[in-house]
Amino acid sequence: MKHDLKLETASVNSVILYFEERICEEVLDQVQHAYGVLKTVPDIINLTPSYHSILIEYNIYKYDTNSITSTIERILYSNPYVQGSSEGKLIEIPVDYNKGLDLERVAKLKALTPSEVVAKHTAMTYRVYAIGFMVGFAYLANVDESIATPRLDSPRTKVPKGSVAIAESQTAIYPQESAGGWNIIGHTEFDDFEQFEIGDRVRFISV
Amino acid sequence: MFKVLHGGVFTTVQDLGRDGYTHLGITPSGAMDEYAYRWSQKLLDNKDGNALEILLSGLKLQATAPTTIGVCGADLNFQINGISQPIWQTHNIQADDILTFKKRVSGMRAYLAVKGGFNVQKFEGSFSTTLKEQKGSQLKMGDTLPYESTTNSEVKRVSEKHIPNYPTHLNIHLVLGYQHKNFSKEEKEKFFSSTYTLTPEMSRMGYKLQGEAINTTQKGIISEGISFGAVQIPPDGQPIILLKERQTIGGYPKMGSVLPRDCFMLAQMSIVSTVSFELISVEKSQELMKEFYGFFNQ
Repeated sequence: MKHDLKLETASVNSVILYFEERICEEVLDQVQHAYGVLKTVPDIINLTPSYHSILIEYNIYKYDTNSITSTIERILYSNPYVQGSSEGKLIEIPVDYNKGLDLERVAKLKALTPSEVVAKHTAMTYRVYAIGFMVGFAYLANVDESIATPRLDSPRTKVPKGSVAIAESQTAIYPQESAGGWNIIGHTEFDDFEQFEIGDRVRFISV
Repeated sequence: MFKVLHGGVFTTVQDLGRDGYTHLGITPSGAMDEYAYRWSQKLLDNKDGNALEILLSGLKLQATAPTTIGVCGADLNFQINGISQPIWQTHNIQADDILTFKKRVSGMRAYLAVKGGFNVQKFEGSFSTTLKEQKGSQLKMGDTLPYESTTNSEVKRVSEKHIPNYPTHLNIHLVLGYQHKNFSKEEKEKFFSSTYTLTPEMSRMGYKLQGEAINTTQKGIISEGISFGAVQIPPDGQPIILLKERQTIGGYPKMGSVLPRDCFMLAQMSIVSTVSFELISVEKSQELMKEFYGFFNQ
């Protein structure tokens, strides 16, 4: 399968590689693959992968606009993405759902029992679609449609570190205490947020 | 060491920031005005150094041992033992000297570097404080800033022609990029012909401008990586220029990115100052930045 390469200027020293404009696993697999390939290119300063793009910041003493484009094209064409070849590690997160401040409310909203919400949340294997907002905050998707819940009308000023939360069809763990508007359905002692990489698989386990 | 007698409005330790961590959501951070920062290092011949980034007034330090410092950037009425001193040069400091930044005269951020750098902790390869990531903290009374004591050395000055006058209006150069094709011709013309005012929403993360609103048909985009100087156009149409402590990914459409050299100047401009955008090619902007870095790497 050939990459549909769409490379745009982003700044004096960066270009952004776009894939199809959709949030889905098929596109994520391509981002994950290209990210892995681009990591081997020398004199790249920062790589920022996200749902359907990779921002590539390069050393302007090593590349000009033409040579960065040809370098990226060459390496991606010679290492094409093969459908179904996606790698990525599996990370298991132990969760205490009794500490979910919003669990009852989410359950009520969805006409489910709290234990049904927990069962649905733990049933899926999620993928890391992006990392940002704060250090190690991984956007995981997709949650079961029946428990997808809108953000709080008014965000909390303090969401405890380790909170496991849902917003629409995404779920995440707060790596630090912060303000936030996601629905907290559990709490984890997991504390190794720097191991998350784009495309990784994540499962929550009720403890 | 320096004992902090008063932390001032907002003082942090900075260097040129950390590269290679944006995939983890870690912002590059670093000195907002690299021009003044790099001079503070060059004057002292510091390699892998750092400096205090001093926003506005209030900082008060007491030295416990002799050293040489370099002070560059904003004129914040720098005083040693109550006597005003010139900046953009080195000063020899003795034990018990009191250093103060009394009040803003021009510019926003001064840089104070010490010979050999402050012996403070690095995080992910950089001294830069990043508050939202809990890396380092704002200076406060009672903090200490250790340094190797050095004997006094010959005073070095930045020559007059290299000392900037901080403007109240700046034409900032913009490289078109990201979603610029999704803005109509009329909206782009408006963007490049308008004058925008700096608002109080100016932080190490970014500067929000106020002026002619730019209409965008896209309310949001799929979140993507944000480069230094990126110009976001949120739904209210008022541009935001993202700077050193920007978020790593974001979901507003972007017109392109400001030339870093202009971002450094922007970091010294105060509210009610104005800016206009001027188009620049990537090639030309790379040439200008090589000239900028080359000057300091001589």
